[in-house]
Amino acid sequence: MDRLIYTAVSGMNASMTRERVIASNMANAQTIGFRKEIIQATPMTLEGPQLEARAMTSTEVRGASMKEGSVTSTGNPLDVALDGDAMLAVQAYDGGEAYTRRGDLSVSVTGVIENGEGLPVLGDNGPVTVPPGSIVTIAPDGGVLVKDPATPQDPPVRLDRLKLVSTTGSQIEKDLAGQFRVRGGGVLPVDENARLTPEALEQSNVNASEVLVEMISAQRLFDMRTKLVDTAKQLDEGSARLMRIDS
Amino acid sequence: MPSSALQVARTGLEAQDQRMRVIANNLANVGTTAFKRDRANFATLAYQDARVAGADSSTETTYATGLNLGTGVAIQSTTRMETQGSLETTGNNLDLALDGDGYFQVQLPGGQLGYTRAGNFTRSSEGQLVTSQGYALQPSITVPDNATSITISTDGTVSAQIAGQSDPTQLGQITVASFTNPGGLQASSDNFMLETAASGPAQIGVPGENGRGQIRQGMLEASNVNIVEELVDMIETQRAYEINSKMISAVDQMLQNANQTL
Repeated sequence: MDRLIYTAVSGMNASMTRERVIASNMANAQTIGFRKEIIQATPMTLEGPQLEARAMTSTEVRGASMKEGSVTSTGNPLDVALDGDAMLAVQAYDGGEAYTRRGDLSVSVTGVIENGEGLPVLGDNGPVTVPPGSIVTIAPDGGVLVKDPATPQDPPVRLDRLKLVSTTGSQIEKDLAGQFRVRGGGVLPVDENARLTPEALEQSNVNASEVLVEMISAQRLFDMRTKLVDTAKQLDEGSARLMRIDS
Repeated sequence: MPSSALQVARTGLEAQDQRMRVIANNLANVGTTAFKRDRANFATLAYQDARVAGADSSTETTYATGLNLGTGVAIQSTTRMETQGSLETTGNNLDLALDGDGYFQVQLPGGQLGYTRAGNFTRSSEGQLVTSQGYALQPSITVPDNATSITISTDGTVSAQIAGQSDPTQLGQITVASFTNPGGLQASSDNFMLETAASGPAQIGVPGENGRGQIRQGMLEASNVNIVEELVDMIETQRAYEINSKMISAVDQMLQNANQTL
């Protein structure tokens, strides 16, 4: 029996994986600061002297699209949108340093500044903590300005600075919690020129109309590959019929 | 895992559905005194590692990246947007609005304290200041029957003119509770909030001091829901819901096609 059927099935599986990644992107079309996954299909062939007549295909997530999402103004003093390719350093669940574009910040009851995922945001020396009950604003350079509500006439005090990093020239990839990490471990240095826009949020960079097109094309490709499996089946039946000895 | 794409699309549908509920609740409360709108927060669900990065692809090469497949989205929480609603004059001298931070304290049945910014108070049959549900304001203020006019200053001092006396009599002091993290208060029914571990304990003080808001007599704070903003969010949610449901039918058709063809 010919191996064509296996090649075609690998294509079907790849199309289903592709559809799943598109579904995951679409589900996150309204997650603040989300970066959509990019899918890449690679032909898999064995290196060797033989003729490359068959290439199985394998589809996988190659990385994330770092295109900027649209920025909307919210008027909330703790919402920040990062400009350019800047990213915000946060403390991941395992205690390591991860990077995110998600800037819907809030102050926890203990005074720790967290982002919308509930991860503590890092400053010059670890997580940023503000005195409980103080009025917090974020400056465009990431400065954390704190005002004591008891003395509203005093100018705000600069307490710390959010760690903003530039990802230019570094390879970053998503970890399993969806945060970005430096590939192979390590941390990025503070970028003095990174800026953010206070009182605004960057939306997800998933574009709904793009999703529709990707979805339909993945669906149709799947259907074609299904057809190919069917064709392989018919060919196989044909050759089996030829070999049959009629009594 | 042929149905996993269906499951991922379903998480999207559910999250949009919940966001729609939040928006509907905001719109329903557009006329509720001192209501604060909620914002739904989406969070990416954990990724599945279909293959560990660095696993051998052959004896000589390793895969550069893991195959991280997203598993969808969930509504993680809602954030109450604590912006001030506009103050509207009602002319009723027992209507109180807070201009700035803080909450009135109210004795709920069962002895628990409730916190509210809705200051539409009335007098009970015993002369106590109570909310429209009949819950007493704390600290308790009692207005005698023969009081003619009640004045509540911006710092919460309550005084009244008693018939037959030339000078006004002071009846009590209204205090305001503030919280380290007001977003952590648990919303309960009838405009009341309850203290939680996340909000921290109530810090009681005089209105207008330490960043607490001042009291404005004869006014009420309107809801801070902006109808136009909610409608835009509603349309956005509706469209996302539609595309997510299209996603489900697309995967369904793929499976159907495979079933029929093979």
